[in-house]
Formats: sequence, structure tokens, C-alpha cells
Amino acid sequence: MNVLRRPSGLSKFRFYSTQTTRPFVPPASLNHFDFRQRQREKPRPTSPAFYTARPEFYDQLSSLESALQHAKTALTSCHLLPLPQFAREALPPRVNAWVDKRELGLKLRSTLTTSRYRRVVLVLNELETYRAIAEKAGIAELQEGIRGITELFERADAATMLARGKAKPVKFDEYGRSYTLGKRKTSSARVWIVPVQQPPADKSTASQSIPAATETDTALTALLDPISSSKSNEPVSVSQILVNNTPLSTYFPIPADRARVIHPIKLAGLLGAYNIFAIVRGGGTSGQSGAVAHGIAKGLAAHEPAIATILRKAKLLRRDPRMVERKKPGLAKARKRYAWVKR
Amino acid sequence: MLTLSVRCQRVSCQLLASSSTSPLVQTRSYATQPKKGQIVKQASQGFKGKKNTSSGQMEHAKKDKKMMAFQPLPVSQLPHPLFESDRPDTLALQSFHPEMLTRVAESQALKFPHNENDPFRIFGLPRNILVEFRLLSKPCSVIRSVTIDAINKLDAASDKNSKESRVVLTGPQGCGKSYLLLQALQYCNARDWLVLYIPRATNLVNSTTAHTYDMRTRTYSQPIFAYQTLQRFLKVNALRLEQLRTQTEIEIERRPPVPPGTPLVELINIGLKDQGHAPTVLGAVLEEIGKQTIFPVLLAVDDFQALYCKSHYRDQHFSAIKSYHLSMPRLLLEYASGQKSFARGAVFGALSMGNTTFPLPLELREALSLEHDRPCGPYVKRQPELVEYAHGLERLAVPGSLSVPEAASVFEVWMKDRAVPSKPNDELFLTKYSEASGNARAFVWKGLLSSMSA
Repeated sequence: MNVLRRPSGLSKFRFYSTQTTRPFVPPASLNHFDFRQRQREKPRPTSPAFYTARPEFYDQLSSLESALQHAKTALTSCHLLPLPQFAREALPPRVNAWVDKRELGLKLRSTLTTSRYRRVVLVLNELETYRAIAEKAGIAELQEGIRGITELFERADAATMLARGKAKPVKFDEYGRSYTLGKRKTSSARVWIVPVQQPPADKSTASQSIPAATETDTALTALLDPISSSKSNEPVSVSQILVNNTPLSTYFPIPADRARVIHPIKLAGLLGAYNIFAIVRGGGTSGQSGAVAHGIAKGLAAHEPAIATILRKAKLLRRDPRMVERKKPGLAKARKRYAWVKR
Repeated sequence: MLTLSVRCQRVSCQLLASSSTSPLVQTRSYATQPKKGQIVKQASQGFKGKKNTSSGQMEHAKKDKKMMAFQPLPVSQLPHPLFESDRPDTLALQSFHPEMLTRVAESQALKFPHNENDPFRIFGLPRNILVEFRLLSKPCSVIRSVTIDAINKLDAASDKNSKESRVVLTGPQGCGKSYLLLQALQYCNARDWLVLYIPRATNLVNSTTAHTYDMRTRTYSQPIFAYQTLQRFLKVNALRLEQLRTQTEIEIERRPPVPPGTPLVELINIGLKDQGHAPTVLGAVLEEIGKQTIFPVLLAVDDFQALYCKSHYRDQHFSAIKSYHLSMPRLLLEYASGQKSFARGAVFGALSMGNTTFPLPLELREALSLEHDRPCGPYVKRQPELVEYAHGLERLAVPGSLSVPEAASVFEVWMKDRAVPSKPNDELFLTKYSEASGNARAFVWKGLLSSMSA
């Protein structure tokens, strides 16, 4: 009981500073007074962060930290923490895409300074790490629980942010066509590649009467009589290449340009396997031919992943970064200097 | 300029002889013929004067170099073992025989016969084909499906009037129109037709041959060209012409008329004796062979579109002379349009799409219903005379790309002749075929012969 609290009846008394001591009231005589209505004028604060500058923020932060703590204890109980160095390295490196400061402020219902934002992000990163460990270990419940918390703070376009800089997989449409883009200098080409459809072989009566030859038979005949056996009646499929709806030879009269377009197909050994249709805009002849070649290389790599290595080694999958260099002041052209005059 | 003087050099007869008989000869200085042995030099002397004595020899050497372009050296001048002159000929081709030409022989390479009176040797060849035949060890060509079509057309035309068989070979540049015309020509020659072949019709209209105004016909006659044509026609068809005689009286200026029943060879010799008579005689000879029905006649013209363009000749007002006002093009146009015809035979023409001095004119494009590449609405002027001359021409479209077996035969020919600098394998074939999109000239010249690959 607080000595300072006086019963209401005694409030009429004034205490002057002259009186240094208060009248003594024995505690026993105050027992029959009911002091319950004189509870706290202010209610007890709900959260321990009430007296901080940003109570909501600290509430959220503390809940996150408690979640982190729970996760930590759970993992420790599963003997997954502390994780040895080699295991940590084995985890897939995760680049996190959390919401930015303003968004996070809206979510936490208080404007954030950078240091406060960083503090939250630190906790989220830790949570994410524990989630990764749980996912790797196969503890689905814990992983889902942590995911439920972290996904609230992830950006809406997190997937695209994380896929930035990585090559998007080439999609095929219902006819099996790939659609790729190729660029060179200021030209850009849109290339569609579709496999050549072999017509069904007509079965003649002669071939039906002859029994099917075995592999060894054909090999033997090829060895003994190469000239006549090489002239088989199988139709040879040929790639048709159309650039801006004109055949390749009409659109590119210079042999070097044509060879540049054919080069990726030739290296891959796929001459006659695919038909190509390209729409190319911008630049001049060699730029356009380079753009078409780039698009063809990317398309072929999509159709046949095995040859992607060959094309990469030949630097055909790389967008040639060379562009026209700008003219500089004091120079006649990009590099050409004016004639030096002695005087 | 030099080629002009060279071309004039080839003609043995001189124009001066005709000028004595026909007083109204107007010849331009560029078309006069130099005396035999003398070469007209058009270039300037340069700083070093007084080179008159040696210049003649220098010019002579230059002329030889031009004539000998792509001509292979004789074997005796190639003793070095690197040339392998004693190597057996691997290009074993069957001869071009008319009976062989069926669908079975499609995409097979056949060599052209080499005779004394071979039409190629006598009439000449278009420039591209001449160069190719000089590079190859022997002149040959590949039989295509369109060849069989053309030959079927010729077989059908052999019994009909030529008015009903006036065919023009069309197709993109380098697809094989001139070659197809050559094959048709060889087929007809082997089948005992009377053949007349003009390999470069541009030479009729590019003012390289003399033209004189003829008061009687009121057109410009080209006596030298007519003379040369008569000469060549006689040489190629000598055996057949010996059997033919004139059926009507033929009037020729400044001499008594030729009575009917004269052998045609005699009529031709009248034109050969005097160049001034050559245009009239040529017209008369064609008329006579048009009347007879013993031998069908083939009139084959390459660079056909040049006949429908304005010529490069200028009249006294410096306006371009129309092609149908020149005797030789007019004669060909009359047979091509059906105004004159052969009782049995056909007229075949091959366009040359790559010629920019004589591009395909609108009237011919419309007559053959080809695609237009420039505005062609009702406000674009069309010459009614040319529309009439182009009326009724039939189109035979040569496919723009070779089929794979045909291309394989072409590849084999060049490979076996060891003219391909790269390693001749399947990959090279498919690469060059794809690069050329099947176009024959691009495949051979820009593909096989122009590139080297390991």
C-alpha cells in the first residue's frame, strides 16, 4: 500500500510545507477501506514495447525474433544447428528479394528508417536461412511454418527479380516452333525454328517383296560396293531459310552474309533438320546477317541442348557487344586524329 | 571499246563493198570496220608520246588476253606433274541424245555433242555459259524436269504452226533459263529441225552493229548482223537447206528477182555475196522455210526482253530508235508475235532478268502475267505496238531452285572436274545448297567455285 495514497475522506486536509511529517495512520485502520476503484488510471500497457518510440514496429520485430528463436530451437533439437561449414556451403546460395523500405513500413504500420529496415531484413534473412536448412533436411512442417512468415515480406515480383540476368528458357509452341531473338550492332532479328517434317515414305511393292535387310548386310554392301549403295532412294531433306519472307539467297546477295547465317547450323551438323523463318529489322546487311545468325544459334540450342556447348565454344550464343564507337571532340572520327601540323 | 573493235575484227567482209551498191548508207564511226590487221585504238597516248609503232603490238597482246579469258592452256604447255595432265578423265558423261530424254533421265548430267556444225560453236553462246563451258572439261548440262516439259512442248509443236507455240522461259535470276534454251536447241538440232539461235539479243539493240536507214522498208536495217546470221544459219543447217527450194519469186533490191525453185542455199549465197542484200535475203529465207513442211523450225532467242526495250541507237533528232524500227529485232518480234509464222515449228525466248540496261518492260511483263515490282496502274504508259508484239506469248516458268537430285548432279559434275577448291563432301553440298536456296547460278558460282573451306 502506498503511503502516498490517501483515503478520500482525508483529502480535505492540506499539507503545507511547514508540516514536514505526515500524520501517521496505522495500516490496520485502513483495512476496511476499499481501494479497488482506485486502480491504475492508465491501463497496463499491452506490450512491453509501449514506452518505446515505435511500439508497433518493436512489437513486430519482437514477434519475428521470437519466431526466429522458435525455429532455432526446433532446428537445434533436430541437431541441425550449429551447421558445420561444409553443410552451410552445400546450401544453395539464396539471394533474397524482400519488400523495400516503404512497403515494409506500410506492412509494419510505421515509417522506417534505414537502420530499422536493416534490422528487420537481418532477421528475415536468418529466418530464410533456417527455412533453407529445414527444406534441405526435409522437415516440411517447419519449412512451411517459416515460409508462412517470410512470404508476407517477399516482393510481389520476387521471381522475376531473382531470375534477373539468367537466361530465360526458350518456350516451344503447340507446333514445336521455338521463338528466339538475335541482335548485332543495331539490327534485331526474330527467329522461328521448326523441325523439318519428313514425308511418310511410300512403300513400293518391290521393297515389300524383298525381306528386310539386316544391319550387317547393309554395312557389308556399303563396304564392297560403295558407289551404287550410296545412291539410296531416301529423299534428302533440305533446310528452307526465309528472311523477311524472301529466300536467303535473295535477301543476302553477298556470300559472306549467307555463310554467316548458315554457320551455326553447319557447326551443329543440323543442315536439313530445321526450317527457319526470320524477321529482321534495323542496321545494314552484315548487322542483319549477324542478328539472324545469333537468333538461329539460340533457337538451335533450345531445340538440341546437346549442341549448346559447341555453339557456346564457337561464341555464337554470345551477343556480339561491339557497337559503333562515338566520335570524340578534337578527333575527326572515333579514333582518327586530324593531320598534325608542326606550326 | 576494245571489245567493239575486236568484234568488228571478226567479220571478214567489209562494209565498203556494200556502200558502192547502196548509196544511202549511214554508218556511225564506232560501227565501221577497220581494215584487216589494223586495230582501232581509242585510248589516249599518255605522257609518253611516239609509241605508235609499239602500240599496235601492245594492243594486239591485250586483245589476245581478252579473247583468251578462261580458255584453258593446251596440255603441251602444262608439263609440270602438279597439273596431272595425264590423269584420266573422271567426268564420264553420256552424250546428249534425244531418245534418252525421258523422265527417267531426270537429274542426270549429259554432255553436249561436239561437231563441226555444232550450233553452239557456230551461233555462239551467252557470256555466262561461254565462261562455264571454258572452265568445264567438256560442255554439259543437267536434265531437269522442266527440260522434259520443254521437250514435250517441242514435240507437240513440231506438227503445229509456230503461231501456236511461242514460248518464253521465265524465272528468277540464275535459275537456268539460258541453259534450258540450249538444251532445247540441241534437242531440235538432233531431231533434224532447222534451228536459228540468237544467243545475245542485246547485241541487236545496244548499237554495236551498224544500222542503215532503208528507204524501201522505212526501217533501219542492220546489214552486218543479218549477214552474220545468214552465214551461221547456212553453216549449221547446211544439209537440211540443200533439200529445200524457194516456192515463190523473191524480189531483192538492185538485182533481178530470184525465180521460184531456186535452192535455198543459192538464195542465201546472194545475201552472203553482198552485205546490203543480207537483211532482205534473211527475211525471204525465213519466209520460205516458214512455208515448207519438211523440217520444223526453231527460232531461239536469248535476252528476249531486249527486243521489247528501246534501243541505244539514236536518230538524227537524238531520240532513241524503237526496237521494232530496226530490221533484225523487227523480224524476230514478228515471228514472236505470230504475225509471221513457220508452218511447222516453234519460237522460244529466254528472258534475262539480271540485265539492268535492258530490263523487263511492262508490256512483256503483263503479257506473260509476271509479278510487278513497280507501279503498273492504268496511268503508266504502255506502248500499243509492243503490246501487240507481246500478245499471245506463252510462259514456261523455270523453277527458281534446283531440286536436290539435280543439284547433286551439278555438284558431281564440278567435283569430278576438280573445279571445287573446298573439300567436296555432303556438308559442303548442303551448306552451299542452303546458302543459295537452290538457285543454280548462286550454287555454282557464289557457292562451290567462290569459297574455300577445310
